[in-house]
Amino acid sequence: MIMTLRLRKFALAAHITLAVGWIGAVAGYIALDVAAATCQDAQTLRAAYLAMELIAWYVIVPLALASLLTGLVMSLGTKWGLFRHYWVLISLLLTISATVVLLVETQTISYFADIAADPTTSSDDLRGLGSTLVHSVGGTVVLLVLVVLNVYKPRGMTRYGWRKQDEQRTGSQP
Amino acid sequence: MANRPPHPGTPRWVKVFGIIVIVLLVVAMMFIGGGEHGPGRHTPSGDAGGRVPPSSVVEDPAPPEGGRG
Repeated sequence: MIMTLRLRKFALAAHITLAVGWIGAVAGYIALDVAAATCQDAQTLRAAYLAMELIAWYVIVPLALASLLTGLVMSLGTKWGLFRHYWVLISLLLTISATVVLLVETQTISYFADIAADPTTSSDDLRGLGSTLVHSVGGTVVLLVLVVLNVYKPRGMTRYGWRKQDEQRTGSQP
Repeated sequence: MANRPPHPGTPRWVKVFGIIVIVLLVVAMMFIGGGEHGPGRHTPSGDAGGRVPPSSVVEDPAPPEGGRG
């Protein structure tokens, strides 16, 4: 079902806001992640791990799920479709992959935060916990690829899209 | 449909993108296969499912003075 122009603009504004918010939230998370990876001060490490858990669960995960949802609405409610163009299909697969990895990674983040929240955890143990930098930087790269795909919309129709387009063309002929 | 135009094939950018993704996945699998991935790497046993607290959190197993025995 194709959306009306007004509804489409609202959905697009919501999708852009949520997706850009996702990138911004990850940028803030990376600042804490770098602190967790490099800092030696126990208080800073404790604060960083606790803040990382809060940002991950209450900002990044909701934004990721919401932008996936609005992306589905945008593709199904416009002429682009979900499986007709390669850039839409790849965007969908990348977003699902990034969201799944994020949900798995939150377990690690919660584990770090649980250890950091324990007042009996020693400074040495805090320094030995490590970080999630590989995932957060990798996730940022995926999000930037998504931005490029969604802005440039490179050409290329899938076989399904090609068949659908042909059916519509022949169906519209008298 | 007799005069349906043939599909032009997969675009080059999709093929290049696919190759890059496959290479990155292989590298990631090697990384994961090394056993240095996930929460388990932070536990002494290396068990990904186990949640072993740090050494400072573990209680002293020695019996208190004047205890049983």
